[in-house]
Amino acid sequence: MENLLKSNSLIGRAYWLIWLRWVAIVTLAGATFVAGEGLGVSLPASALYTMSGLLLVYNLVLYGLLRYWSRGGRETSPTKTDAILGFQISADLFILATILHFSGGIENPFSFFFVFHMIIASILRPRWQSYLQATLAVVLFGGLLLLEGAGVIPHYDLTGFAGHGLYRNGTFVLGFLFVFTITLYLVVYMTTSITEQLRERQKELEKANELLQEKDQVKNEYVLRVTHDIKGHLAAIESCLEVVANGMLGPLNDKQKDFVGRAHRRTTKCMAFVMALLKLTRMKLSGRLDVERFSLRICVLSSLSSVQSRAREKSIVLDHRIDPAVDQIAGEAVLIEETITNMLFNAVKYTPAGGRVGLEVKPDGDFVQVKITDTGIGIPETALPHIFQEFYRAENARAVERDGTGLGLAFAKQVVERHGGRIWVENNPAGGGTTFTFTLPSNLTPAPVQV
Amino acid sequence: MAQGKILIIDDDPDITEAMSVVLENRGYKVRSARDSTEGMEQLKKAKPDLIILDVMMRTSQEGFELSRELKNNATYKDIPILMLTGVKDKTGLDFKSAAGDQAWLPVEEFLDKPVKPNVLLEKVEGLLQKS
Repeated sequence: MENLLKSNSLIGRAYWLIWLRWVAIVTLAGATFVAGEGLGVSLPASALYTMSGLLLVYNLVLYGLLRYWSRGGRETSPTKTDAILGFQISADLFILATILHFSGGIENPFSFFFVFHMIIASILRPRWQSYLQATLAVVLFGGLLLLEGAGVIPHYDLTGFAGHGLYRNGTFVLGFLFVFTITLYLVVYMTTSITEQLRERQKELEKANELLQEKDQVKNEYVLRVTHDIKGHLAAIESCLEVVANGMLGPLNDKQKDFVGRAHRRTTKCMAFVMALLKLTRMKLSGRLDVERFSLRICVLSSLSSVQSRAREKSIVLDHRIDPAVDQIAGEAVLIEETITNMLFNAVKYTPAGGRVGLEVKPDGDFVQVKITDTGIGIPETALPHIFQEFYRAENARAVERDGTGLGLAFAKQVVERHGGRIWVENNPAGGGTTFTFTLPSNLTPAPVQV
Repeated sequence: MAQGKILIIDDDPDITEAMSVVLENRGYKVRSARDSTEGMEQLKKAKPDLIILDVMMRTSQEGFELSRELKNNATYKDIPILMLTGVKDKTGLDFKSAAGDQAWLPVEEFLDKPVKPNVLLEKVEGLLQKS
């Protein structure tokens, strides 16, 4: 039997049914009380309260079982979850029929509630099973009305609410049952038609998504291949230019030195770009992280010391606050240090001389939060949503540095998200500048992370 | 002027040339080979004091294999090897963490390509002083 909804969402639906049942229990007890005490309707209140009590126990047991089966976020098998759902829906039909028996049978308009059960079944179950549930409902309720009408089982009057003898009126009972049956089957037909379309659509979307991921993989492999080949040539060009620029093949005149220098600098920039692209692509292609426990404090301090001299050159104050509660976390230390260093360099680069760059590290629930604030040029509002995109560079960033790679923040995002963290950016409300914040889980399990 | 004979084994002649100029400028005697076979021939002709070996030549394993072969050879096992690694791009292998694991990769030093002239000279000098 094919069920296109995912198992964990089925478990979610099972919890949803339990939640609905709590509402039903309260409604049953409340309605019995209001009808009996408030409206003076005569009804077997003790039987109905007993039913609410039994229902309560049944729901508690179901809840406990579900918790037990799905403990620790474990997924139960779809077949099992499916069976649980099927059982619940059928059991609910029995329960509703029993309640109706004790509360007037045909006289009780709560028989409308069968419609809800049909909708629930049609959403959660395959089409043929929903029809089966509809048939079960018709047999149960029809059986109840016919047996009460024939006097095989007792009928409880809702004196004070509905007219007497309705249940013995054969024409009315059959007419009622006829409309009831048609209603249930039509509800199932309509609802399953809609849900089947939705499932079909969901399947298409999943397939399309899979295809996209495959294409993305192919694209990444292509980029890796191309950049790697370009890098080989660039390395040779750079090595040769260096020899000439350093005057190892004899002295150069000023004009020659100038031009070789230009070529050399451009080659170095191009090399930096290719290396950044390689690193990012390799990161996207590799499905694993080398997770180890390491001191985030030491990592952060080492990043700070890498940027220190650059900050001093621009007379930028570089201050930091590391919460004493933060120390060991799990992750790939090299990547995280590189990310923090890159972001600090960025902050220093885009902050005018005499400004301030601050770094703050503090715990944040199950995460640690790293915040880098600067008093720099800020990011235009229109650029904010794109800032983590590959190759994207804001206009004002271009003005500061023409040849940035536009890959630094994309890499930072990859690293942070690969660790299960989040990264975001805001412009500071007052005084200008930007704040980059990212989180990392403090207790990442040292297990391979799937892409 | 520095003393010493260096053998460069790399299949990229442009890089080999550029490195040769840098090293010769410093006073080293430099020979070069394009692959393992040529490299072994050069070794037989004259024993160098240092080998600079590209990790990936015609096959991705060539540099590794040659380094193991040399370290298992009584005549050549004492020659220090400086390995050039552009290979990290493809394999994602971190050579710095593998360095020193003699059984796995028996070389003395690693350098990532492209190599800056002063970094190259510094490493070469260091290795020659040790041996």
